[in-house]
Amino acid sequence: MKHAWRWTAALLPLVIGFALAVYWETQPGSQPVYVLKADRVALAEIFGGICSLILGGVIFARNWLARRDRKNVDAYLVRSAQERRQFILRLDHELKNPLTAMRAGLANLGGSPDESDRQAALTSLETQLLRLSRLSADLRKLTELEQQSLERTSVNVSNILEEMVELIQAKPEACERSLSLSLPQAPWPLPSISADRDLLVLAIYNLLDNAVKYTRPGDRIEVRASEVEDHVVIEVADTGPGIPDDEIQNVWDELYRGKGARSLPGSGLGLALIRAVVERHGGKVQLRSRIDQGTIFTINLPIR
Amino acid sequence: MVTIPEKPKILLVDDETAITDNLAPFLERSGYLTRVAADGEEASQILPQYHPDLVILDVMMPRLDGRELLRKMRKSANWTPVILLTQVGESSERAMALEEGADDYLNKPFDPYELVARIRAVLRRAQPGEPPLSSAPRLVCGDLHFDRRARRVWKAGQEIILTPKAINLLEYLMTHPDELITRDRLLDAVWGWDYPVGTRTVDTRIAEIRRVLADDPVDPRFIETIPGNGYRFVGRVGAQG
Repeated sequence: MKHAWRWTAALLPLVIGFALAVYWETQPGSQPVYVLKADRVALAEIFGGICSLILGGVIFARNWLARRDRKNVDAYLVRSAQERRQFILRLDHELKNPLTAMRAGLANLGGSPDESDRQAALTSLETQLLRLSRLSADLRKLTELEQQSLERTSVNVSNILEEMVELIQAKPEACERSLSLSLPQAPWPLPSISADRDLLVLAIYNLLDNAVKYTRPGDRIEVRASEVEDHVVIEVADTGPGIPDDEIQNVWDELYRGKGARSLPGSGLGLALIRAVVERHGGKVQLRSRIDQGTIFTINLPIR
Repeated sequence: MVTIPEKPKILLVDDETAITDNLAPFLERSGYLTRVAADGEEASQILPQYHPDLVILDVMMPRLDGRELLRKMRKSANWTPVILLTQVGESSERAMALEEGADDYLNKPFDPYELVARIRAVLRRAQPGEPPLSSAPRLVCGDLHFDRRARRVWKAGQEIILTPKAINLLEYLMTHPDELITRDRLLDAVWGWDYPVGTRTVDTRIAEIRRVLADDPVDPRFIETIPGNGYRFVGRVGAQG
């Protein structure tokens, strides 16, 4: 309990008094009797003083708590304003490139007499349009994820992992990396967990896809799963280039793209989606990385 | 005398002129007479004189929005087929689209060729002057009964238990019988998004429906697989009040 110490402090005098009473009660012989004498004036002064002390203490404590809460709220507001600004900047950046490409494409379409140039411009326009549609779909997916109700069933994580690894291996880039999956069999296989299967598939596929995308040909990717207390833990480890320390904090954020990721296609929403899915299930995401050694992503999902 | 088959008439209702300016000529080129209305209010004035064969309705519009106009039309027993253009792709919005009597719906942004494909399918299915299957509160196919308001399904008098996604999927298939529906379209219609592994997700749910309905994929009574393409509901579906 968070406020246990406060209640302990409040009850301490009572406990001490009670302990003293019990102690004296068990002492042999007659108990000494104390008589306190005071006139009305003194009583009134003492009574008034005690009341003022109690009230003053309460007021002081409340003010102190309110000030602390306000500080927390202020810090939270500053942080969320910052996050919002950052998100808008990133969104602006994500939109700028395809829009610039489209304006140039349109100029080519109108200005070039060469038919093959015009065809190329049309193809490029279509690619950029699809890129923007993809971005809008991913953003929508992310906001919907935060509100939609989970359709929980009993889900076999081993099955999903096997299926997704098989799917990823069918990608041409995956053939150039060595991808392995290890699932526990002894003393017992992974338990089924209560989860939304479709969302879990989305998260796990994205995680594996990410590992393939951000490693080089020849790298190793290991997918492992285990049962730890009342959680299923999924790890995806690679021997890729790693993520710099100053970027690790941000990689889970919407639209964030690290320096090493900028040259690669993607919306910058993959990891944010994974985090949203896992957190909706009451789980946690983590990542450790060392430059030039590799990265390990960990997903913790409660079984119940 | 040779009679030239008349071109189907379409009423396109959207407040975004950027969309109507581009979409109307495209529909004309695709062989439809097209008129444009800027909002629900204007559309409800045009409807009684123009008698379109199909209405394409945007949901979010000023004055009278698409959903209100659809409700108004169905209330006055106007069964002109309607395709709704849903704006945000919210799952609640998709679920409501069918319930309120739209014949089909499409999430923005969409491919104009996809819209034309839907128009064709809806026009082929529509019986002039009759309520569409999608507005029926109960659907019947042989001994299969689907109560759409209660979201419950019975087979041979026995209630069967399906996950909510599977119920939505079965509903979409049953309200579009005898139509080839691609996995991508089912994903878009029922899940509201598509992703690389999404088509597998559709297959998983179809397998669930088949298992519960004891439908043999080799000799299907309800859902047929079109290899490399998608699914088709092959049973005869009727409406029940």
